[in-house]
Amino acid sequence: MIPLIFYLGLAALLFSIGLYGVMTHKNGIRMIMCIELMLNSANLNLVAFSSYTNTLNGQVFAVFSIALAAAEAAVGFAILMAIYRMHDKINLNELKILRW
Amino acid sequence: MVKTALEELAFLIPLLPALAFVITFFFGRKMPSGGAVVPILAIAASFVISLMITLRLLVNPNEVISQSYPWFAVLNIGVLIDPLAAVMLSMVSFVSLLIHIYAVSYMSGDPGEARYFAETSLFTAAMLSLALSDNILQLFVSWELVGFCSYLLIGFWFERPSAAAAAKKAFLTTRIGDVMFLTGIIVLTSDLLKLAGGFQEGTYLLRFDEIFSYIPQLSALHSNIFGFEVSHLTIITLLFFGGAVGKSGQFPLHVWLPDAMEGPTTVSALIHAATMVTAGVYLVARTFPMFIAAPDSLMVVAYLGGFTALFAGTMGIVMNDLKRVLAYSTISQLGYMMLGLGLGSAIGLEAVGISLFHLINHAFFKALLFLCAGSVIHAVGTQDMRELGGVRKVMPVTAATMAIAALALAGFGIPGTSIGTSGFFSKDAIIEAAYLFGENSNNWIPYVFSIAAALLTSIYIFRLIFMTFTGKPRSDYHGHESPAIMTIPLAILAIFSLLFGGLTKTGFMDFLEETFANSFVNLDIGSLAALGRNELVGAAGNESLFVQWLPMIVAIAGLAVAFVIYYLRIIKLGPLASMKNPVYRLLYKRYYQHEIYTEFFSLGIIYGIIALLSQVLDVIIDSIVEGIGILTVGVSEELRRVQTGVVQTYAIVVIAGVSLLIILVKLIMEVL
Repeated sequence: MIPLIFYLGLAALLFSIGLYGVMTHKNGIRMIMCIELMLNSANLNLVAFSSYTNTLNGQVFAVFSIALAAAEAAVGFAILMAIYRMHDKINLNELKILRW
Repeated sequence: MVKTALEELAFLIPLLPALAFVITFFFGRKMPSGGAVVPILAIAASFVISLMITLRLLVNPNEVISQSYPWFAVLNIGVLIDPLAAVMLSMVSFVSLLIHIYAVSYMSGDPGEARYFAETSLFTAAMLSLALSDNILQLFVSWELVGFCSYLLIGFWFERPSAAAAAKKAFLTTRIGDVMFLTGIIVLTSDLLKLAGGFQEGTYLLRFDEIFSYIPQLSALHSNIFGFEVSHLTIITLLFFGGAVGKSGQFPLHVWLPDAMEGPTTVSALIHAATMVTAGVYLVARTFPMFIAAPDSLMVVAYLGGFTALFAGTMGIVMNDLKRVLAYSTISQLGYMMLGLGLGSAIGLEAVGISLFHLINHAFFKALLFLCAGSVIHAVGTQDMRELGGVRKVMPVTAATMAIAALALAGFGIPGTSIGTSGFFSKDAIIEAAYLFGENSNNWIPYVFSIAAALLTSIYIFRLIFMTFTGKPRSDYHGHESPAIMTIPLAILAIFSLLFGGLTKTGFMDFLEETFANSFVNLDIGSLAALGRNELVGAAGNESLFVQWLPMIVAIAGLAVAFVIYYLRIIKLGPLASMKNPVYRLLYKRYYQHEIYTEFFSLGIIYGIIALLSQVLDVIIDSIVEGIGILTVGVSEELRRVQTGVVQTYAIVVIAGVSLLIILVKLIMEVL
């Protein structure tokens, strides 16, 4: 059996890549994809812990989380579409409509 | 068994009326008569307990109730019921009970009825707690509460500007005395701390018996004030007396008392008979062992008291307002009580006896006078004696009881016998003590004051009686006798005014003299007096016939003068009693004291200082307030820049925050 630490290491790696992507990319769609990556790293952790402790809870959480991520992605992309239609751009650095 | 039960109950004496205050304050409006029944029952219970304790003390004066509980670590709160406190408690609760019953009818229909009963109930509670304090600090707290309640009650009809002004005046004037009293307590405390070497566990420095045990050392401490070596005991007692001057309306702080008539008449009765003004006399009596070792203070007490008795009398004879005459009579009678205490340098503890005896008798007849006046005002609707006259025909009960009260105030009785009104015995005791004092020290001034004041008392009170109750009505009024709920308290008070003095005469004074001589405090008054270089001359009572009869003769002369001028109206005062006569004008204008005080406090240096101070305060306070405003605007101006609107910044903040949180949790886990 593959030791737990490998899963956790992979998840940490995925998470860091996702985080790096969120910080550095300016394109909204890419950022959402990176967030998905971070979410999935968390899911990986959940499943790993679940099989490590021989319970099912973690897997159930992971399924919920995937479902939520799907819903969130749908909403997020819809918002991005709306923003693109209004402002003709998708570069989030230039979009400061959240500002005071 | 009975003893412990009574000691448990002692705490209830002030607590019950205080509880009644809470109940009437919150629920009185929903009850009939403003919830009057609650304070009446509470005060009745207090009275019963007080009376039981008094009776037990009468049987055995050594069974003093004394309980102390820690309060703020080294101070204490407690109950001390010795003969002095017991007599005071019984009188206060009894008179207050009658006034409350009377007020049910007097105040009925007033929109503030519930507020009235709540406030008078608290007033009584404060006074009862003052009387049973076993330490000077608790006494001071109650003292302030009494002052506050009197402020509320004098300004009871606060929508009237004159009532609001009178309440303010009473509060501020007595405040001058209160500050002196507090200063006295501070000086006393610092001295005691020095003498006792700091606070000791288990001893309560400010308890009266502790204070008294330090009297010899206190009188040995001296300070140099304006080149005079003054003993600290003299300073402290004079400061205490300053407080008493304010509360008991003595010259020069008496100006608030006549104005205090703005409250309901029942409040005047409460203030003038049972509570507020007697507090000052009680304070001096309570700390009497300190006074007797400070002869200079006693001299001040005697002179100021005697002078006030005379001074207030001169104003009493020209007033036209029913209640105002009575107000000046209160000031004058309190002067007598102070004079009685001041004579302690000659007669020792007997001074407490005669002074408190007069205080109790005065409470009965002064409450009666005020309640009668209230009855007249209630029925007729005016208190200007020039508009009254012939009230006797429509209000026979009120007229009869008021006449009894007047006789008691003027001190009618037959010297050498036990026949006389209660005022006769106590006032004569004071006048005879003044004579004794004069004989002993060849200083006749207090005696002259007391005799002259007796003459004036008789004149002004019978002037009031004749102008109000006899002759023909001088205005178009319609009166009727008051209902039974008002006349029954009058009758009870009348019986006490007539009989109390004669029945209790010597026993009462002996009882009170036990206060400082019993096993509880166990003071040797003779040696304390020796500290003050006083030589006690012993008891009064063996004076010549002339001395015994003179006060009576003077009282009859006063009655005769009033009779001739205001009943027979043979002598017309005419121009003598008009504003054209400078003496009359001076008296009528009350020696211009109000004007002088107002001018003094509104002009010149004091006004300048206050104006300057208010300017400075304005600057300070304004800058504080504006500073807070500017600070808030500035900080928020900077803080809003945090909201960049860039999603990535927010993400960084979130991640930094989460990381920090994890590190913190980790650190805490490790520490634990």
